[in-house]
Amino acid sequence: MMSDIRHSLLRRDALSAAKEVLYHLDIYFSSQLQNAPVPMVEKGPIELLEEFVFQIPRDRGSHNKRLTAMQELQLLEILCNYFQDQTKEAVRQVIFSSLFSPQGNKADEQRMVLLGKLTSMAVAVCRVPVLECAASWLQRTPAVYCVRLAKALVGDYCGLVPGSIQTLKQIFNVSPRFCCQFITAVAALYDMSTEELIPPHDLLEMIVSWIFEDPRLILITFLNTPITANLPIGYLEVSPLMGLVRWCVIAPLAYRRKQKAAGGVPIVEDQNLYSKLHLSVLQGLMVLQTHLTEKSLYGRLALILFEQLVPLVEELGQLCEELNPLNAEQEMELALDRLAQALQVSMATGALLCTRDDLRTLCARLPHNNLMQLVVSGPVQPQPAHPTLTPAYYPHIHTPPLGYPTLPAHAALPAHTALPTHAALPTHAAIPPHTALPAHTALPGHAALPAHATLPAHPALPTHAALPTHPALPGHPVQTFMPGMTFPFRPMR
Amino acid sequence: MAGLGDCEFLVRRARELVQEDTCAARAWLITARTLYPQDFNIQYEMYNIERKAERTTSAGRLLYDMFVNFSDQPVVWREISVITAALRNDLQDKQTQFLRGLFEALPGRVQCEMLLKATEQCFNTLERAEMLLLLLRRFPETVVQHGVSLGETLLEAESLEDQESPVNCFRKLFVCDVLPLIINNLDVRLPSSLLYKYLNKAAEFYINYVTRSPQIDAQHQGTQDTSDLLSPTKRSSQKYIIEGLTEKSSQILDPWDRLFKILSVVGMRCEWQMDKGTRNFNDLFHRVKELCRYINNFDNEAHIKYKNQVVYSATLLFFKSVFQYISAIQPSLFQGPNTPNQVPIVLLEDTSSVFSEVEINSGKHIHKRRKLTDSREKTMSSDDEDLSGKGRSRHVIVSKNDLANPNEVLESFKMARECWDLLHSSEALDKEFSRICLPWKTDTWLWLRIFLTDMVIYQGQHKKAVNSLHLMAALQGPHSPTQIMNQGNLEPHRSLIQLAACHFALGEYKLTCEKVLELMNFIVPPSQEVSKTKDEQSKVKPKFRKGNDLKLLPCTSKYVMPYCLQLLLASIKLRAFSDNRDDMALGHLIVLLQHDWPKGENLFLKAIGKICQQGTFQYENFFNYITNIDMLEEFAYLRTQEGGKIHLELIPNQGVLLKSSSTTLGLLQQEFMPVLQASIATSDRHHTVTRGITKGVKEDFRLAMERQVSRCTENLLVVLHHFCINEKILLLQCLA
Repeated sequence: MMSDIRHSLLRRDALSAAKEVLYHLDIYFSSQLQNAPVPMVEKGPIELLEEFVFQIPRDRGSHNKRLTAMQELQLLEILCNYFQDQTKEAVRQVIFSSLFSPQGNKADEQRMVLLGKLTSMAVAVCRVPVLECAASWLQRTPAVYCVRLAKALVGDYCGLVPGSIQTLKQIFNVSPRFCCQFITAVAALYDMSTEELIPPHDLLEMIVSWIFEDPRLILITFLNTPITANLPIGYLEVSPLMGLVRWCVIAPLAYRRKQKAAGGVPIVEDQNLYSKLHLSVLQGLMVLQTHLTEKSLYGRLALILFEQLVPLVEELGQLCEELNPLNAEQEMELALDRLAQALQVSMATGALLCTRDDLRTLCARLPHNNLMQLVVSGPVQPQPAHPTLTPAYYPHIHTPPLGYPTLPAHAALPAHTALPTHAALPTHAAIPPHTALPAHTALPGHAALPAHATLPAHPALPTHAALPTHPALPGHPVQTFMPGMTFPFRPMR
Repeated sequence: MAGLGDCEFLVRRARELVQEDTCAARAWLITARTLYPQDFNIQYEMYNIERKAERTTSAGRLLYDMFVNFSDQPVVWREISVITAALRNDLQDKQTQFLRGLFEALPGRVQCEMLLKATEQCFNTLERAEMLLLLLRRFPETVVQHGVSLGETLLEAESLEDQESPVNCFRKLFVCDVLPLIINNLDVRLPSSLLYKYLNKAAEFYINYVTRSPQIDAQHQGTQDTSDLLSPTKRSSQKYIIEGLTEKSSQILDPWDRLFKILSVVGMRCEWQMDKGTRNFNDLFHRVKELCRYINNFDNEAHIKYKNQVVYSATLLFFKSVFQYISAIQPSLFQGPNTPNQVPIVLLEDTSSVFSEVEINSGKHIHKRRKLTDSREKTMSSDDEDLSGKGRSRHVIVSKNDLANPNEVLESFKMARECWDLLHSSEALDKEFSRICLPWKTDTWLWLRIFLTDMVIYQGQHKKAVNSLHLMAALQGPHSPTQIMNQGNLEPHRSLIQLAACHFALGEYKLTCEKVLELMNFIVPPSQEVSKTKDEQSKVKPKFRKGNDLKLLPCTSKYVMPYCLQLLLASIKLRAFSDNRDDMALGHLIVLLQHDWPKGENLFLKAIGKICQQGTFQYENFFNYITNIDMLEEFAYLRTQEGGKIHLELIPNQGVLLKSSSTTLGLLQQEFMPVLQASIATSDRHHTVTRGITKGVKEDFRLAMERQVSRCTENLLVVLHHFCINEKILLLQCLA
């Protein structure tokens, strides 16, 4: 079948062949999707796409048919329009995947170039379906490729034309999912290991403004993804949390180092942005706690892995040593404060599953810091009789940016005391081996997990994949921001 | 305890940072709270930061957390009371608005809980009631539980605190705010007796509210520039404040509409006979009249609810109509948006026929004479409790120039009378109506008294009217000097005018005269004689009506003085033409006939006829008050041969005058006729008057005549005003 198509396409010029191959494959995958929920992506279609979209010659010997710049632009338009016009999400995703999933062959280079340009164009003309496909692609593709896409976009929007970042900034309102993945990729790209890998100011400012406006942004991918036991290595994380924590912790010292390299000229302009970002990350963690609790996942699913902290702490330690002779006490203090805060809040909200002893070991070699000391040794006061970390059930009738979210509590749901609560509690077996519950946390003992009543106690971890993946309506970004977050809502008469 | 030290450390760090880097401070506090969720200071610090930054949502959320977890902290209660106070007051400043926004940002259920708890903490009845009201308004479902008890608490507070007026803060909250919530919520079960009690309370409140007098405000305004208080514009612009309430809460829009809305809801709940949908007041009255027609025994147990329907509907309609009528005729009585130039009006018997009522001779006035005697009979009989006379419809003359909406005023007057009649049409209704009125102390309501007086005047029950007017005087009390200062406005003497008219109608001419002359003290003679009234009268005259007409007359000197002169004229006329010779009365009559000349020409000629018959005439005030050229000519003629050589003694102490020289005359004139002074200067000038005045007459008479002629351009009303003031004793004497 594929060869029939190929033959019909060979006679055409490059652009109409590209259009035609999309047409044929659209029909092909649509019919496949009717028979099976997940279509098999075989070699055939991918080869067709490589030949007629990426212009990789099939026959050995014949050389590349390079498209002119004009033709390339037209090709991008064809692709953009295709994704815009195809209403079936599943078909879009299969085609996008067939086009741009790296195949480990020589076409990958061309693939990545074209993907970069397509995404950039989609941002410029606001093609939401393409952005949504790109968001999924960023989840399914090894991080090295994701970083390349991020780099391409940063190049286009933070380098070429001053002020063009505003166009990218707008995407927040139409495709938060893409934004979330983009942040994850950018955080992976700019890991602050060298001066060059400090995020550019414009980019940082944009990202901070996104997250500050709504800290829930960093959880979107997590909330829209089926929970898998362990993430495959070499892929982007399910949230940018760890990357952003890294930014905030390392930033004071990284900038100091950069300043030193620049000959002592102080670079302070971005520090307020990091402060904002740090706050937003902590707020995002508080939101996470609500979700974990609602889904009965509290204490069972870590978003920040202990293993990831080890290199961060090591790097911080090295930086401290490196910069110590430079009277960088203030920066060190700030970095350590932020690390301590991030550790404490991640632990308390269930994003990080470890004991305080683990933390003590982890941070043993860091310079002294009062807050860190406090976090590592834990609160002194005795465990309260009725531990209520965040006590009040607080229905969200308005959903502006969240301040300090709270957990549902039995106080507002009197029926709870009568429930056979033990049945629905997470069993020990379900908890990953090294994730002993944080020693201090006021994890509600037996009564403060209201979600049990409605959630059947599945032996397997529940998923929240059933959420719509394209939630945003233009103009109401905040309201419809995360449809997964439904709150008890009782309209007032 | 080390833990406490930790908390203090964390809070202190946040405080240190809050100025330069709020975000960092907030991050510290978030961390702190996860470490010490039970620590109040951490939460409070977080709340303070959000509050200062005016982030309503997050501040609200933290407040609620504190409300739930730290309800034992006085700081939390202070904060909640600050917020609920902001909800209750009218202020529009930024802080108050933020606090309101903060409250609004809380979810409904939380608001409800917070208000309830705050109410429990509140011991001031008024504040507590206002707080509960906030709750009831926002959460109608709470009305069932708290509505009636709140209402009862307010009514109780009202009596406990010994409120003098039904227009007090407790009653206001009950009637305007709580009651509609209770009665409009069908989940609240209310026995009829309670509904009637509430309707009664509402009616008493609203009626007293709309009829509140402006003086009350002056008290409430305290020490303001008192000279400004007199100006009607200033007065109406003053804001009325019910003690204990805010200005906004004290303003009640459309009070009558609100009252009738309550009436209709109560009627609906008590299953009255009612039409669905909106109804106007006429329909309402019509329905009540129908009920009265079909139900003959209201004491029947089965008809109790209809009795209540009739009594309450008619009572409210009655007071509303009375209010409308009174606010049109005496607007200054009530506080409210009165137009400052609105003139008070007084209801009086029409006396414009006074000139034509010639009794004794002239057959050409037969039907008029009959009319006069008819009406006299009627007015005489009307006080014999002759109820048949009550129902008759009389015409009330109103000039469009005097009232903006004469028809509406007359309609209100009519509706009020009909309601009154209906409420007194059976013993059961009468009893029930009195039962309502008694605790309201309606007998102390001046405005109601004014209406009742007008009603009996309308019915021609003048004796009753006189009694009513005396009661009114008692209610009014002594006039404050400030009121009298208002020149030309006779509003404070409204009852005096009516009293004079009533005495006249009763044939009590001396009393009429007394009242008129008393009134003259307050009258400022208008500069020009009113020609408008003439037009008006001539317009009405051709329409011949049965019975006497009434008229609504502006309560000013300009209109009242002519009316008074007519009353005087009519009172003296009978005496002057009686069979007994009374030159004094005849002279007074002639003086008065000058007014509105030549309407009184017939009567004047009749008087001349009488003088001719007598052959002599003595009236020493003649040259003081008679300036009418026609009359002067007539008298000059009477002395001539052709005129019949009548012996006229018109100069004071004529015997003396005859002997004295013309030079002394001047002195005497100064003594007796001060008004003549102005003309003395011209006395030397020789006037050739018609009909040969100078021919063969005594020199001093001739001179006096000449002087009078020169006075004929004087303002007659000033002359007549002098006449009334100076000759008061003589005038009363001649009616003795």
